Amino acid sequence: MPAGNDQLTSLAWQPLPGADGAEIYPLIRKLDTISSNSYLIATCDALILIDPGGLPEQAEALAQVIGTCREEHDRPVFVFLTHAHIDHFLGVQPVPAFAHSGAVIFAVQECGALSLEKGDSSITQAGLFSTEVSPMKVALHLLTPERSACPNTPCQLAFSNSAEITITRDSAGEGSESLDRETIRFGNGPPLEVYHTPGHSPDSICLKMGSVVFCGDILFAASPGIAGIAGWSQDDLIRSLTGFEDLVAQGTTTMVCPGHGRIIPAANASRMITAVRTETVALENIAELNSTRAAMAAAYAEDCMEQINELFTIMAGRLYYVSWVADELGETDLAEKTADIISGQTIDGLMEAFQAFSKEHHTSGESSILLALKAGQVIAKLRQSFDQDRLAQIIDPGFVQRAGRLLSDYITLLRGFTPPTDVVARDIRVLTETLVTGLSVSACPDADLLSCDDDDEAFASILLARIGGRPLLEDVAVSVRAEEDREYLGYIDADTLCDLLTYILEDLTGSNASRITIELGQKERDVVLSVCGDIPPGSRPLQLKTKRFLPALCERAGGRLHVQKSEQALRFEIRVDAAA
Amino acid sequence: MDITTADHEEKTVLFITGRIDTSTAPDLEQAINRQIDGQKRCILLDFSGVTYISSGGLRVLLATAKKLKNPGDKFALCSLSPEVLKILKLAGFTSIFSIYPSEGEALAGW
Repeated sequence: MPAGNDQLTSLAWQPLPGADGAEIYPLIRKLDTISSNSYLIATCDALILIDPGGLPEQAEALAQVIGTCREEHDRPVFVFLTHAHIDHFLGVQPVPAFAHSGAVIFAVQECGALSLEKGDSSITQAGLFSTEVSPMKVALHLLTPERSACPNTPCQLAFSNSAEITITRDSAGEGSESLDRETIRFGNGPPLEVYHTPGHSPDSICLKMGSVVFCGDILFAASPGIAGIAGWSQDDLIRSLTGFEDLVAQGTTTMVCPGHGRIIPAANASRMITAVRTETVALENIAELNSTRAAMAAAYAEDCMEQINELFTIMAGRLYYVSWVADELGETDLAEKTADIISGQTIDGLMEAFQAFSKEHHTSGESSILLALKAGQVIAKLRQSFDQDRLAQIIDPGFVQRAGRLLSDYITLLRGFTPPTDVVARDIRVLTETLVTGLSVSACPDADLLSCDDDDEAFASILLARIGGRPLLEDVAVSVRAEEDREYLGYIDADTLCDLLTYILEDLTGSNASRITIELGQKERDVVLSVCGDIPPGSRPLQLKTKRFLPALCERAGGRLHVQKSEQALRFEIRVDAAA
Repeated sequence: MDITTADHEEKTVLFITGRIDTSTAPDLEQAINRQIDGQKRCILLDFSGVTYISSGGLRVLLATAKKLKNPGDKFALCSLSPEVLKILKLAGFTSIFSIYPSEGEALAGW
């Protein structure tokens, strides 16, 4: 791939900008959580590999490039880790060129170095990804407390592979100099600056040589599924981002090489840092992302994706239907515009990719976090792929709002927060009757259509909304039974209860129920809301969402769900605490 | 996805089994188009073996409904699983073409 002035070409040697005599060989991967990018730098006195990655094949390929360099001009090899997460280094462990103790000098910030020497599974994230790390020797501990006691004092270090370096702890200052830092000289070549930037992990560092900064994962540190991992610290991250921002804003920095994804021009990186800091500030009180929460997020991801798939298929179908009717009415332009609001092909592609990933995941028994993160990726793309406001003007806004809530709730949960609920005393009868009325009548009454017969655009808009807003319960007889003039006050989150009732009514309608009865009552300290639909004789049973999704939704609404299924009827009973 | 075809005089029944998704929807469209190109204008899709339909599948159904809307043409579905029926109902497709509980009822109704 040809590179511009602010890019480097992957898998090719080229001059390292701003570093006289140094060359760089980047290995830029498609963004994923399995393995990082790698950057190999050659100076006249050393070969410096930054982040060899999480895959043995990647480490093996780098070992071959290093081998060729050493054949041409033998130099000592250093491997720097921007932090000791497995996706940045695990690939080296089975590769002999790296595993032979002493042949390669590993350089890691003190805290990460100690974790690697113990074969720790927490700071390295090995536990989260259900894998193991063998203890490994780290010959060069960076930013040690001993050196911090002697700032500005060059320290000569010699290693078993005959390498010699000079390392100097720099004194504290303003801006980027507020970060703990030291400078390493490998003979007469350009120096390597090391900056401590904890937050994503306690051992995170940024490295700078010439005008290029290697920043590890600091730009991803506030992302869902990453914020909150073991060793993550909001306070540290905010401080590090401030120093990092100054480092990037210096006129001497031209590009930023991240741990994952494409190389970033310095100007763009500054904007990204501002966004990451804003996100980080909002991440107060997030739960730790450990194996238990990863398993919970993965289970929720699968339930959520099933519902999202169904809702998006229905919404896309509803748009096709609107487009079809518009076409039948001779409104060809309107039909084409309508069909384009959602890209069914994009959505199908995303959902099918997740289904395939999920199937493979269950076959291979991989760590839950991978499934949870994959769902996060798909959901982020789905959020970008549809215009909620425009869609809600044409099809039943209930579908659009529920889809929006499912997407944002999943991201909230993956971030480590509990999706917000507002459980307060509400009259469940009023909520139920309002919902049923809303689902039984058209959202666009005749009067609206007649009132705009002289405005073509408004007429078209209302016409589409009338076609697309077909009420769910238009062909079903629904009755709500309750004692006359009685309030049924219960502690409930109104929005979530309405979502739950809508899912239930959709399931009953989908089961071809011709009559649905909703009853309200009180048993002991509970308000009981039961929804019962008849099932036509000979019907095939519907696969109910009752295993996890509906009970969990009911719990979030503030209630408990019980389902009874017989040959003639399906009955959902929701119990909520009665308010005095 | 598998498709088998049976002719009942001028009526053609396509039995479909499996998932109708991005990769299989074009096959379904081709199979239907072959029938239409062969001047079959009364087509019934038996969905008793269909376990899943994506928006790509819905698009094929709609395209078929557009092709079979001349006087005398017929296009219908039968034997849907509740999951697929629910999608078609909520998408509004039940007013575009008829859906029958079984093949027998569909053919008797034509």
